[in-house]
Amino acid sequence: MATQEMPRTDSEVLKRRIERERKARLSAEAIAERGMRQLYQKQQEVELLRQVAAAANEAQTIEDAMQVAVDRVCSYTGWPVGHAYILAQDSSRQLVSSVWHLKSPERFATLRKISNNTIFTTGVGLPGRVLASGSPAWIVDVTKDNNFPRAKLAQDIGVRAAFGFPVLIGKEVVAVLEFFSDTPREPDEPLLEAMAHIGTQLGRVIERKRYEEKLIHNAFHDSLTQLPNRALFLERLAQALARAKRRKNYLFAVLFLDLDRFKLVNDSMGHSVGDGLIREIGEILQQGLRAGDTVARLGGDEYAILLDDIGQASHTSRAVERIRRNLESTLTFDRIFVSASIGIALSSTGYERPEEILRDADIAMYRAKSQGRGLSVVFNANMHEQAVKLLYLESDLKRALDRQEFCLHYQPIVSLTTGGIAGFEGLIRWQHPNRGLVPPGDFIPVAEESELILPITQWALNEASVQLRKWKEQFQHCPISVSVNLNTKYFTKRNFLSEIVALIARNGFDPCSLKLEITESQIMERAESMSKILVELDNFGIKVYVDDFGTGYSSLSYLSKFRVHAIKVDRSFVSNLGNDERNSTIVRTIIALGHQLGLNVIAEGIETEKQLQFLLEEGCQHGQGYYFSKPVPEAKAVELIRANGFSELIPPPLLQSFPS
Amino acid sequence: MKGIVFNLLEEAIRQEHGEDVWDALLDHTELEGAYTSLGNYPDEHLMKLVGAASDMLRKPAGEIIRWFGCKSLSLFAERYPHFFNDHQSTRPFLLALNSIIHPEVRKFYPGADVPDFQFDTSSEEILIMQYYSKRKLCAFAEGLIQGTATYYREQLTIEHSKCMHRGDPHCELRISLQRLS
Repeated sequence: MATQEMPRTDSEVLKRRIERERKARLSAEAIAERGMRQLYQKQQEVELLRQVAAAANEAQTIEDAMQVAVDRVCSYTGWPVGHAYILAQDSSRQLVSSVWHLKSPERFATLRKISNNTIFTTGVGLPGRVLASGSPAWIVDVTKDNNFPRAKLAQDIGVRAAFGFPVLIGKEVVAVLEFFSDTPREPDEPLLEAMAHIGTQLGRVIERKRYEEKLIHNAFHDSLTQLPNRALFLERLAQALARAKRRKNYLFAVLFLDLDRFKLVNDSMGHSVGDGLIREIGEILQQGLRAGDTVARLGGDEYAILLDDIGQASHTSRAVERIRRNLESTLTFDRIFVSASIGIALSSTGYERPEEILRDADIAMYRAKSQGRGLSVVFNANMHEQAVKLLYLESDLKRALDRQEFCLHYQPIVSLTTGGIAGFEGLIRWQHPNRGLVPPGDFIPVAEESELILPITQWALNEASVQLRKWKEQFQHCPISVSVNLNTKYFTKRNFLSEIVALIARNGFDPCSLKLEITESQIMERAESMSKILVELDNFGIKVYVDDFGTGYSSLSYLSKFRVHAIKVDRSFVSNLGNDERNSTIVRTIIALGHQLGLNVIAEGIETEKQLQFLLEEGCQHGQGYYFSKPVPEAKAVELIRANGFSELIPPPLLQSFPS
Repeated sequence: MKGIVFNLLEEAIRQEHGEDVWDALLDHTELEGAYTSLGNYPDEHLMKLVGAASDMLRKPAGEIIRWFGCKSLSLFAERYPHFFNDHQSTRPFLLALNSIIHPEVRKFYPGADVPDFQFDTSSEEILIMQYYSKRKLCAFAEGLIQGTATYYREQLTIEHSKCMHRGDPHCELRISLQRLS
């Protein structure tokens, strides 16, 4: 230890002590000052983050939140320029200028202009660097930086230091903020750490807003086609109606479009093909429409189109023609030609509510569909009345099922040579409490449009089965058959086959006593799937008759492959026999064709002796019609069997077989 | 008034006139004299001390304050050199007062009542600086400016063209500077 000269006087000792105290005080003050400064800075930082967080929570838009952040960071740092970019949500990965904070707008006008016009992608300039790395970047002096495209400008307007930081959702950069100072500055790590917090806060805003936007978009768009959905379409319609009220000559049209035979595509080619078709049609419909028009998917294979401000009604027919041409030139789906039925409603009818005009376009579409494929119909008021009637009918039908207002009548199928009864066609009748007996033609088509045909069919099958059991007990040695008309909709039921088999088992009759009649056109509409179903039915011994033969679109090659047991010549041919030579030729051909394929031929609608004679001459062995008997209740049918005897329906010998 | 001001005054008096003078001033004013830079003290303490110094040194109070400002500046420069290193001359230093130096001072002396100056920079030669404070310490400001000019080795001419002490609503200092070779 070095020896020191000791102070000589007390006063010097005291002075030294005081000096030590003073130094200690100054040092303590300096430490406290540093602490105060750090505390102050921390408080400022906390306040900055609090302000940005509050703004982030309250911001109505991403831009609002960005603006607050940029403003607050500028006031916190005292730097004169702040700027936010948002990453474009497309594939370009471009940063798009969003909001600015400029202490002096005139001085920094060119910086703003040039920044807005520069394309910043990954790696380019300060924002591109931040985008590439996903972390903050600091430039001490931009005029000396070799990746700063705006360096020349910075030199001119006196911009020196800069920093940028990313706005992150997870690890993904969604926006970049940059700030500029007047003077060169060394990197400030604590500042960048605070900025990282701000980046996270802003990321939450963007994430939340994007999620909100997505939810809103999903609420108003169809997920398959991304087209507006019914809700959005009705909103646009409401706007159009409001315009129509304000402007005298303003006219718009609503098209309701439904694909013809879409179900066929779905059933025969699978749902993914069907979905593809729905999407493709959405795109086609959008082509050739104007910016103000709206195409929406309402669900299933239904679309609606709002043709806005059409000037005159004739514009609509041109637009419909264009849509039809576009559809036709594009859509031939694996040999299935897809067309659309279009219903049109015009605003000139005078509507109050958007639902009304859409409903009327829908009604017109149904009318178009009922008239054939690929047609369009403009709505008129009569259609509405009819639609209302149909609606009542539908609810009546539902009641009828509950109250058991249906009954089966039986029309005999007769051997033309012996007059014996071969079986009966079960025909449904509706005993309406007010309207009396309603003919099937007045309600079956309505039931077929809705799902009501399914319970009605089920009822008819059940009724026929019960009848077959009774007759089996009554006429033990004569297997009397009953045929039931089926709509192919029935076959889309999941367990239709097991249901039929269960009915047969429950009632204990021979499966071949129950005949199913399906119209030729319905079979042909879904030839592929029907072919399989017919095989299954045949395997169970259930016989199928082709109803209304000759009226549909016949494919003889298909017919030869189908497992059917009889064809029923449509009544329109039979009733015209003798009046028209060509008609006679058709009947002659059908009979010959049936026999050649080993099928029974049953002539429907025989009313005269003359018709019977013709059919007998052509070798037709069975028939039905008023000539023999009208459809009759059960008791009367039993009398007919007793009076005329039984004559089994045996297929003719196969004359020539076709390759199967 | 922030304690730092009293510390500076004590320092200035001690350096220039000796410890005994500072003790005498305290005796004379009957003030305790235990000031820490972090504390807050009544403005009138400063006024009393300045008044006593004026009597004892036989100089007008304004001159004492001006001298104190000038002396404080060099003490500031010792204590906070980074404020001074950022600039090369008096004018930019003065212009940075509002935006950089005073905000910094507020950081370590929370609640420090530092004045805001108004500057007219339209002339290259003369910087016009407006001062307003209820303390009316324009002489202190003048002294600080003088000290700054001395620090940057510049010749200062300062004209106190308007003064609150003469009934003007604020003071106006017209400052011209010339670099000493």
